[in-house]
Amino acid sequence: MAPRFEYAQAEEVRDAFARHAVRYLFIGKSGAILLGYPDTTQDADLFLEKSESNGSAAVGALRELGFALTEPQADEIRRGKDFVQLRNGPFDLDLVFAPDGIETFESAWTRRVEVEGFPVCHPDDIIRSKEAANRVKDRESLPRLRAFREYWVRRRR
Amino acid sequence: MEPGEPDEAERLEWAAEFEAAARRPLRTRLRYAFIHTYKPVLDDAPYRSFDTMAQYRAWCARELPNWLGYGPAV
Repeated sequence: MAPRFEYAQAEEVRDAFARHAVRYLFIGKSGAILLGYPDTTQDADLFLEKSESNGSAAVGALRELGFALTEPQADEIRRGKDFVQLRNGPFDLDLVFAPDGIETFESAWTRRVEVEGFPVCHPDDIIRSKEAANRVKDRESLPRLRAFREYWVRRRR
Repeated sequence: MEPGEPDEAERLEWAAEFEAAARRPLRTRLRYAFIHTYKPVLDDAPYRSFDTMAQYRAWCARELPNWLGYGPAV
């Protein structure tokens, strides 16, 4: 089992992805946590722009971070499979190229929030994706996440 | 009030938690937030990929234990 994700690992992702010019956003509960949402999660979820050039950039960054990607796996990331789960690196990472409930990467990018250099989906997009995914664990967490969204919006005014 | 929606006491409790979190630096928030426990099946392969999110959701519903919560909400 990989060590848990901590601030240092988040920094490594941010810096490696910046070096390779990867277009991505933190999404899901890990994104909400970066925005200030107090809760627990097990892995980080990244929403990547689906293009071959961005996929290639992501492969470079992931290998630099220590993810042991075989060439067929790297090809899948370059081609932009909708969902890739990585448990072959220094920490666990989920790559999402087409999250439920979000039309395009560009639209989410326009609404993004920057937190200490971390690009994060707007809470509305995080909530929309959880509503659309409609998993048991999402349904359970949505009322508190919506309450956080209200708090977060008030606080930013 | 819809099922799962908070009552007033819960809302106040959440608001206090949000305020407390906002006072903590990001580094501290991340230290508290990321935990690592073994998730059966999900953590048993070093790599998985799915062509579509629908395929991923269907795989979760079919393969993962219900208690993990990855299945569809009824």
